[in-house]
Formats: sequence, structure tokens, C-alpha cells
Amino acid sequence: MSVHRDGDVIFLKGNCRVEDAEPLLSLLQAGRGYIVDLTETEHLHAAVLQVLMALRPTLRGAGNDAFVRSWLTPALIGAKSIIAAPGNG
Amino acid sequence: MDDLLQHFVVEARELIQQATEDLLALERDPDVVAHIDGAFRAVHTLKGSVGLFDFAPMGLALHAAEDLLGSMRADHGNVDSEAIDGLLGCINRAERWVDEIERTGQLPSDAAEEGYRLARVLRSRLEGNGHREIPVIPEADLGWIEALVSQRPASDAAQVQDTPLVALRYIPRDDCFFSGDDPVALLRSIPDLQAVRILNRNPWPPAGEMDPFSCNLVIEALSSAAYDAVKSVFRFVPDQVTIHEIPPGSMAPAHAAGSDGAVAEPMSPVVGAASSRMLRIDAARIDRMADLVGEMVVAKNALAHLAGQASNGLDHKDLARGLLANQATIDRLVAEMHRAVMDIRLMPMRDIFRRFPRAVRDIAGQSGKAVDFSMEGEDVEADKSVVEGLFEPLLHVLRNAIDHGAEPEALRLEAGKSARTVIVLRARRVGDRVVVEVQDDGRGIDPSRIRQVARERGLAPADGLDRMTDAEAIEMIFAPGFSTASEITDLSGRGVGMDVARSTIEGLGGEARVRSTPGRGTTISLTLPLTVAMTRVMAVRVGGELYGIPLDGIVETAIVPPNRVLPVREAEAFVLRDRTVPLIRLADLLETPRAVDRGGGTKVVVMTMGDELVGIAVDGFAERMDVLMRPMTGILAGMPGVAGTTLLGDGSVLMILDVPELIG
Repeated sequence: MSVHRDGDVIFLKGNCRVEDAEPLLSLLQAGRGYIVDLTETEHLHAAVLQVLMALRPTLRGAGNDAFVRSWLTPALIGAKSIIAAPGNG
Repeated sequence: MDDLLQHFVVEARELIQQATEDLLALERDPDVVAHIDGAFRAVHTLKGSVGLFDFAPMGLALHAAEDLLGSMRADHGNVDSEAIDGLLGCINRAERWVDEIERTGQLPSDAAEEGYRLARVLRSRLEGNGHREIPVIPEADLGWIEALVSQRPASDAAQVQDTPLVALRYIPRDDCFFSGDDPVALLRSIPDLQAVRILNRNPWPPAGEMDPFSCNLVIEALSSAAYDAVKSVFRFVPDQVTIHEIPPGSMAPAHAAGSDGAVAEPMSPVVGAASSRMLRIDAARIDRMADLVGEMVVAKNALAHLAGQASNGLDHKDLARGLLANQATIDRLVAEMHRAVMDIRLMPMRDIFRRFPRAVRDIAGQSGKAVDFSMEGEDVEADKSVVEGLFEPLLHVLRNAIDHGAEPEALRLEAGKSARTVIVLRARRVGDRVVVEVQDDGRGIDPSRIRQVARERGLAPADGLDRMTDAEAIEMIFAPGFSTASEITDLSGRGVGMDVARSTIEGLGGEARVRSTPGRGTTISLTLPLTVAMTRVMAVRVGGELYGIPLDGIVETAIVPPNRVLPVREAEAFVLRDRTVPLIRLADLLETPRAVDRGGGTKVVVMTMGDELVGIAVDGFAERMDVLMRPMTGILAGMPGVAGTTLLGDGSVLMILDVPELIG
């Protein structure tokens, strides 16, 4: 499982697969203003990506992978501005 | 044509054929799962190969066909003849597209529309709503490219002018996650990304109603990689992506491809497709040739050994014996090698026969006749040119059998026949010829009706018609102008009369015959040579030169004593077994001086010309031989009286005469 919650932050770590979309959606549907942390994200499956686009949570971090950093997180900016993660330029 | 595309054409034809056969079989026995499986596999494989090229509309239609077959497979109740019609329609269209691809390297311009139409028709047959319409992208909507280009980071923007870019818009199917697609992974594999935009296709639903497994994304990207490199990323989803190439220095997309169907793969027009014909060959035949070549190497080594012995002073007798033995071996090997090469050109009738069941089904459907069609002798082989040349004439003969032979069911039952007209297509080998017959048990040909039509159309003088036997009258169906050639057929695409069918057969060295019994049926038989490549000729000497005469026109040779040659006005004749036969001197025909008659009789080759015999006087007979006759080409092509040439063993050229044409 690459989705886990710690307090108000949902961490997406490593390779997020299609089966991560559902748990992520349930967490976000609970609607407590969670922050989604992408610092250790290596890949986002399209299903996960569109959950982030649709539910527009606040994002943190830009991903631990060149592709995610260069293309996915900037594309998500349209959804919500990214909060620079601590220690992440 | 590019190699890959050529293989695609060959493979696609086979798969289309396979799918057609299975669908027709399925229609007959809807309960046999193997037929659905077979058709599904063929369509699935074909769709896969289509995906390698820029033929998105074709992929789209086949994808729909595959889905429909898949659901039929899952649920047997779904097999009905309307669904089969839809699938056959799709396959039929795919076949025409393949023809077009072979000709031009691309799909016709109306393919996009047709592909969507077929896909819609097929998808409408799919039950449930698991499969939704694929979004249609408006062709004119290219504004997104501009937006995308302008979105590139400023530092890169300067480069727009000097490298070509590829813009793509990828709209994944909403159920794509279920087939294991990850559109983001595809995006990741696009080389040299320059810009990315990820949008939602439809407005996002309220958070509580979001379906995470229904894809609602539109992905747009810009890449500086080659067009083909980008396209190949999307080879499995060609129907969901639009790819445009933007040449350097221009914002306007110069060539568009993908689901809008305006395919413009930079492919040179196909030139000389005929010169690069492909032949599929049974591996066993190649193995046999390889064996023969091996034996030839052995024979060559034996010859080298013999040559070595000869230079070491082998005595004459032994040398001669060795040479003779070696010559016999090489002789045999060359003959076998030649046969092996000829065999490669042989192909089974199956290759064209297999196309007929569907054609018969279509024709019968159009004319509302019930037909039981069967085939025999699909394994009979003949030269490729013979087999392929048979297709059009046979199609026409079959069409005639259905249109004119088959009676309405009620009439058949009244006459004590089975309700469905039985049509049999049969091939068999008779000596060195192959006979292909189309036999029906329909109403037969009425000779009086033939006479009437022939009289109306002025095809023969009235008294001639009355004198004809019924069998001769029936043969009139082959007369030029007899068939109502104005009817344009769906299948052949043009009106082909029986006269054209016959002349095609005769062009292949064959003949067409008809037998018919009114009320009982008609049989059209086409007799063809097994191979057109080899000609048996007899060599004759005239004026010191050697000429060949095709053996199939020669009845016998004779030596006529001088006193039996009778002058008849300007000409000559002789009596051969109580029959007067005109005598023509070949030297006169060739306008060479006659040889001095040394007595001892005139050497005569007796030939048939039509129904008559004619004697051709020559100076001498030489051997008979099998030759590879080459037709005259270039400026000699129109030379009258010469059928072709062949090379003799001593390197000289033998002219093969067309004697009937020489006589004129």
C-alpha cells in the first residue's frame, strides 16, 4: 500500500498503482482538509492522478522522480498550488 | 512499399480470410464455440497488427468487432445473424482497406467516417453499458496545440523555430483502467517531452460521486522526438490519440494523423507494387531445393575429381565412362531442380476457393435465393498465375449459377427438388490439366430461349441458329455480347460477361465448356493447364534454320510421297487416310526459299486449326523438347506468328511459331 495517513497528511510513497485510487478517494472524501504529500512519490497512476485533480487537495512536495517532478506535479498546479515540502527546493 | 507494411498486407489478408471463414461457420452452427474463438483470435491479431501503423479508423472498427466477439464468447445467446452481418460488414470493409493500403500505402480518405460508423454499429449491438461510445474529436479543433506550445518554458521557447515538434492529444477510453492501461505511464514513455497538460474531459463530479475507475482525463503533450517514436508509444491505443507534427518554423500543424483519419505518414507512393510480388512457400519445398543443391555440389566435386584424373592421364575409355555417369547425374539433378522451382510456383486452389463461400453468401443474399454451397478439391494445385487467373471467371460463373440457375424455393419444391439450390465448386486434376467445375441443380439452360436471345441480339444468322444442336446453342452463352454485361456486380465491381470469363480462361491456355439439362441444372467446366510456364515444342528445320512448333497443336507427322501431293488451283493438298488435307509450306509462310526437293517425299506436320486439319510441309523434323517459352518483349512484342522464344542448349535462340496466326 503506497497510501497512508499520518494525522492531517496523506503520504503517497513510491509507485502509486490503480488500486491506490480508491483508498485515496475515500480518505479525501472524508473531507477534513488533508494535505497530500508527494515528496516520496515515484509514479502516479492515472487513476490516482485524477482523484487528486478532482478533489483538489493541498499538495506538498514535488515527487521523488524526474518525470513526476517535471510534468505531473506542475500539471497538478492547476488543481491547487503546491506547498514546498520542508527541505525540498 | 515498406517491408513491414508488405508483411502486414499479406498477414491481414490471411486473418481476414480466417475471420470470414469462422464467421460463416458460426452462422451455420451458432453453438460451436470454436468458431467464435477462431474469429475472435483472428480479429484480435489483426487489430494488433493494424495498431503498428497509422490506420486508426481500421483499428477502431476492428476493436469494436473484437469487443462484440468477446461478448459473444462470454455469452452464447448473443449470436444472431444480424450480429454476424455486422461483423462480416466490418471484415469486408477491412479487406477493401487492405487492398487500398497495398495500392497506396494508406487508408482511403473516407476511412475515418466509415471506421466510426462501423464501430458504432458494432458497439450498438453490445449489451449493457460497460462499453461506452468513444469520444469523437472534432477535426477542426487544433487550438490546443497552440496553447500547448505557448505553455512551454520560456527558456525553450526559442527552440520552437529550429526543431520539429510532435503534438499529441490522448483521450483514454473511460474504461481503460480495466484493460490495464495507465495513461500516465504512456505519457511517461513519450521521449523528449517538451510540455504537458493534463485536463479533465468532463467536469468533475461532486467529491461524493466520483468514480475513481472511470478515466476522465485528457492528456496533451509536446515532444521533440520523431513522429514515429511518439506514435509507437501509442501503438496499442491508436484510436484514442491524435498526433500532429509541427515542422520547424511553423505553428500550423503540417500533417495530422490519428483518429481524424487524415493519415499522412510520410510514405512514398507505392511504385511498381507488381514487381515485388510476394509468394508464400511451404518450407518443405525449400528444404527439398536445399537438398538438391547439396547433391549438385557432390556432383560438381565428382566432376572436379574426374578432371584431375584426366590431367593425370586417365585413359580415354575410363574418362568417357566417368563423364557419362557424371553427366547423367547432373542431368537428373537439373531436371529435379527445375521441377522443384516450378513447384514453388504451384499453389493450391484453396487460396482462391476460400474466398467464395462469402461471395456466394452475399450474392445469394442480394438475390434472395437459398443456396447450399460446397467445395471439393481445394488441395488441387496449379501454377500461381493459373489459380489467380481463375478467381474472376469463377466468381462470374458462380454469380450466374445463383442469379440465373437457382429457382425460387416454391418452384424447386414443386419440381421435387430440395428447397435450397445445391451449388458445387469442384477442382480435379486430369493428366497435366486441371478441371474446375461449377455445378448447380437449378433450372438449367433452355436452348430455345438461348436461340431467341441470340436472334434478338443478332449474334448469329437465323438459319445458323436453327441448324445448331441444343448443345451448340447453349455454348452461345459464351458469345461476346450475349451476357447482359451491363449489370454491374457488387463483387467484381464491373460487369463481366461470360465471354470475358471465357477469354480469360483461354488467355491462360484453357477452355470453358457448358453442359446443361433443362430442369436439372447446369455445369460449367473450365479446363486449364497445370502450369503455363513449360511448353512442349517440336523443332522443325526450314531453310537451314530451326523453329519450334508447340506440340499441343500437332496431331501427327507424316512423310507424303510426291505423287500424293495434289495441286488444287494455286494451292496444294494431300490425302491422309481418305481425308483431303490442305498442304502449306512453312518456307512460304516464313518467306524463305524452299529447299530443293531431293525426292523421298515431303515431310509434313499435321496440325489442327479449329476443327480442320492442315499439313505444314517442313524440310526436316528435329527433336521434341520441353522449353521455358519467353514471350516476345519490346519492339518484337507485336511480331505476328511468333509465340515466343527459348534458349537452346548450344546457346542459340529457338523461335516458337504460332502457326495458325502465320496462316492467318
